[in-house]
Amino acid sequence: MVDAGLLDAIVQGLITGSIIAGGALGLSLIYNIAEVPNFAHGDMITIGAYLALVFNNPAEIPFLPAFGSAPLPAAAIVGVVLAGALGAAYELTIFRKFRQKDADIITMVIVSLGLALVLRNVVLFLVGSKNIRYESASVSNTNFDFLVTGAGMTVRTTQRQAGDVVTTGLWGYPWWLLAGGLILATAVGYGVFRAYRREEGFDTVYLVPPKILGTAVAIATAIVLGALIQLAPQGTDPIVATRIGLSIKHLTIVGVVLAAMFALNVALKTTKFGRAMRATADNMDLAEVRGVDADRVQLLVWVIASMLAALAGVLTGWFATNLTPNMGFTLLLPIFAAVILGGISSPYGAVAGAMIIGVSMDVSVYLLPSHFATYRIAVAFLILIGVLMIKPEGLWGDV
Amino acid sequence: MSEDSSVAPSPEETILAVEDLEKHFGGIVALDGVDLSVGSGITGLIGPNGAGKTTFFNCLTGFYTPEVGSITFQGADITGSRPAAVAKSGMVRTFQIPRELSEMTVLENLLLAPPDQSGERLSGAWLRGDAFVDDELSVRERALEMAEFFELDHLLDEPAGNLSGGQRKLLELARALLTDPEMVLLDEPLAGVNPTLEEKILDRIHDLEAQGYSFLFVEHDIEMIMNHCDRVIVLHRGEVLTTGTPEEVQTDDRVIEAYLGEVDV
Amino acid sequence: MAVADFLITLVTFIAIYSLFGIGLNLKFGFTGLIDFGHVAYFMVGAYVTVVLTLPADAATYGGIGGFDLPGLFAALGPLGSLFGWVLGVVGGMVAAALVSLAVGVPTLRLREDYLAITALGIATILNTVVKDEDWLFNGPYGISGIHKPLVDVFPLSLGSFTVNMAVFGLLSVAVFAYVAYWLVNRFREAGRTGRIAMAVSVGLVSLWYFVMPAIDGGTVELTKNVLWLFDPTAGPNGGLDYDRFVLILAVGFLAGGYHWVERTINSPYGRVLRAIREDEDVPQALGKETFQYKMQGLMFGSALAGAAGALWAVNIGFVSPDQFASTITFFAFTAVIIGGTANNKGVILGTTVFWAIRNGTRFIDVPSQYSIQLAAARLILIGAILIVILYYRPQGLLGEQDYDIDLPGSATGGSDDV
Ligand SMILES: Nc1ncnc2c1ncn2[C@@H]1O[C@H](COP(=O)(O)OP(=O)(O)OP(=O)(O)O)[C@@H](O)[C@H]1O
Ligand SMILES: [Mg+2]
Repeated sequence: MVDAGLLDAIVQGLITGSIIAGGALGLSLIYNIAEVPNFAHGDMITIGAYLALVFNNPAEIPFLPAFGSAPLPAAAIVGVVLAGALGAAYELTIFRKFRQKDADIITMVIVSLGLALVLRNVVLFLVGSKNIRYESASVSNTNFDFLVTGAGMTVRTTQRQAGDVVTTGLWGYPWWLLAGGLILATAVGYGVFRAYRREEGFDTVYLVPPKILGTAVAIATAIVLGALIQLAPQGTDPIVATRIGLSIKHLTIVGVVLAAMFALNVALKTTKFGRAMRATADNMDLAEVRGVDADRVQLLVWVIASMLAALAGVLTGWFATNLTPNMGFTLLLPIFAAVILGGISSPYGAVAGAMIIGVSMDVSVYLLPSHFATYRIAVAFLILIGVLMIKPEGLWGDV
Repeated sequence: MSEDSSVAPSPEETILAVEDLEKHFGGIVALDGVDLSVGSGITGLIGPNGAGKTTFFNCLTGFYTPEVGSITFQGADITGSRPAAVAKSGMVRTFQIPRELSEMTVLENLLLAPPDQSGERLSGAWLRGDAFVDDELSVRERALEMAEFFELDHLLDEPAGNLSGGQRKLLELARALLTDPEMVLLDEPLAGVNPTLEEKILDRIHDLEAQGYSFLFVEHDIEMIMNHCDRVIVLHRGEVLTTGTPEEVQTDDRVIEAYLGEVDV
Repeated sequence: MAVADFLITLVTFIAIYSLFGIGLNLKFGFTGLIDFGHVAYFMVGAYVTVVLTLPADAATYGGIGGFDLPGLFAALGPLGSLFGWVLGVVGGMVAAALVSLAVGVPTLRLREDYLAITALGIATILNTVVKDEDWLFNGPYGISGIHKPLVDVFPLSLGSFTVNMAVFGLLSVAVFAYVAYWLVNRFREAGRTGRIAMAVSVGLVSLWYFVMPAIDGGTVELTKNVLWLFDPTAGPNGGLDYDRFVLILAVGFLAGGYHWVERTINSPYGRVLRAIREDEDVPQALGKETFQYKMQGLMFGSALAGAAGALWAVNIGFVSPDQFASTITFFAFTAVIIGGTANNKGVILGTTVFWAIRNGTRFIDVPSQYSIQLAAARLILIGAILIVILYYRPQGLLGEQDYDIDLPGSATGGSDDV
């Protein structure tokens, strides 16, 4: 039996971070462009999760006829789209009006707080407070045991099937392959970085910053190599061993969030509306003078942000295998911490901040005695306060 | 740089000495090694838009922390001091764009300024001894006197947000003068003030100068600077172009090229 | 339960939460600090007071303490143990102020929105600590068997039934008379809308309080409502029961807190606080150490929240971490904004409106399986009111209050009214 170690805590932290990142992407848009520190964001996440529930598992909602269950992905898409419509409603009926009155940031904070109260209680009113789950296939965890031996590394995968632990795979990499693979991956990553980087100029705008692209390519290469070249086990008598628990669910969550981040980034940097949004973020008045229709930009911001929040809600509900009216509100603090930490100005910043928060939450739970597990959120917050004390504008500044 | 500041005040009358001050905003170098000393009396600070005058004031009064350089006021090093500490040490500034407290009345804006009021401390406000009453009465008297001088006395109970642009400038100035400063940094105090009142204020500044107050005075009206200042400092692109008496500055070729040449004097 | 009993419970709540709100108003209304962690000081005040006054050998309590301050002075009679309890309250207030000092040092320099978020975060963390650390204050089990000041003295009886009824009855009527007098004066000062609002609400309340019981329950109910201080069933001869004492205690604390804050605000000190709220750079440029003022405002406001917490504990008789969720802070913000930010009377009005909506709707008959729905509907209503008020009347029902520094021998005392 191999124990889960620091590595596993980091991987779990990245998954937690992805969940947080889903909310942080939308919040950073609203915070940065609409200039609303949106305390309703947590409850927008909840609303999204329940919208998907309406189509996925209507039997759980008291006043709805049980009209059958759509598969979770389909229900999620419908839920996200409906959440977008609600986002438009928030903007048109509330935030636009306050913006037209030049409401200050304190007022916006309190308005969003009022909206939060309404949303949370609408869920409570319609669904009640019981725990509900999505109707979805159960996914079992695969444990990856990494055994470092004298000859190299052995990987063993095990799964729990019908109550028994079954070994589903056993393979290995000798030292020369590990070293070679790492060198190759680094070389490929660096090559991409060099090829992609352009002359530093005033108007150089990268879709993906070269450093991030290079690192991502290197990691991807290493994973692909590791998956393709599986040699014989290098012994099962480890010097060091560690276990990582993963499932398709986790990988899907990370993948969906990274895809959302990338899509948002492309949209912001290549489309006309994206450019208008970024101009509005820099200076709303100036953007209007230059012919940007600020109202349309803000409407789009609320729609996209609500859709992202709904996506985060579905992922959260699926990940935690239950939905409660409070699920979003409990996420609000880590999400705010992530957004402020990442500087509120870019999707990458929001995701990076979320990953830092997620990893530090799970790693601290691993490192601290077990009864400190309830302090996960406290850890996220202490990091935020520590950073703010040194850099009051957030890690990547630029407000 | 100012190697040739021929009329730099002799050390004993130097009140404010600034050495090698630098302030950057991202790529913009707003102050690029400012070296100067200011003596008593009225000193003019001129320079084209964006020369760094306001930034210089912000560094002097602790609102910005300069990256490099030191500031000495009346013999004490005040580099990096907090704004309140600078103000308490006797150097008070006005804001170029007036910052009236718009929801408070004009009188309250003025009453805020005088230093060391007994009722400003929590203990004073709670206990309300004789000092509380005496201080408040004398502060009110001074505020009323100041308001009368600046022709704001009929507006005392108006919220300051209702004042006109020029009146805000006056309120800003009145507030600064009520803090009992040694040196007042005035950032374009007279822009938008009507000529008769302008004369009156300048007279008042001369009166105060006679009583020992010193002024550092940003103004774009060259004539006013020439007529009212004892010395002039010219700032250009974050550097001191020259300093001297108004006559000297007026005839300096570089000044004419950099600044005066741009305007029709 | 008679309407009078319900009202006594409600008004006690309102008095306690008004004190809490006045503490928040000092921070938010007068100084401009968005302290989303205000409830933390309510909690600290409640717990510290409870532990300071708890008997040392309290059963089912495994946290630090109890220190039994009332017991220490019990030799001096009931007033001695009351003094011990008051000391406990002072301890709770000091503890709340000190915790806010520790919170303020890192957070008060931040942007206002970051302050709001970090304050909320810290309050959540403090709540988690109290909940998870059993050794501290008994963790999730909470503390019961709380010391209630003067509880042995009650029900207070002055003699025979008739004497009790006469004395407490007269006092009750006197209170009504005073309220009526006060209302008439307010009515005279009020504008047209104010008069209509007052006439309608006073009319409805008196209809509900005096006329309805008379129709429903006859003279017994009516008598109970009119002579509300007198409880005929308390003790052999009737008298003043403990709930009514707690009400008087809470209203007394509220009056004290109100005047204390008024004294603070109507002074040069208050002027600096308001200047900070509007534009912190200005008082700084004029030589005021604004950080110290903000810190003091935070600590003073937190101490008042602490006092409210002490009363809360006495009123409920039991404290546990769940009672101090962040929603309590948000409710207080709502109440302050409804009544009028930077207006202490407005805080009391707003708190009354808020808790009347929140608790008064219990008279609406709904089947018990819909109780969650009813609770949720109230909060939806409150959230919506908050947004509507911010839009149509951002200054709240009463608007910002007037300021006046009392100066003997000065005719211009009122000249700095806003
Ligand atoms: N907070 C700031 N952030 C970025 N740049 C700034 C800031 N403050 C000043 N600058 C820049 O520093 C330079 C100097 O500005 P400053 O306001 O000191 O000029 P000034 O001499 O007062 O001009 P004016 O006569 O127009 O008032 C300008 O280029 C300005 O854009
Ligand atoms: Mg300027």
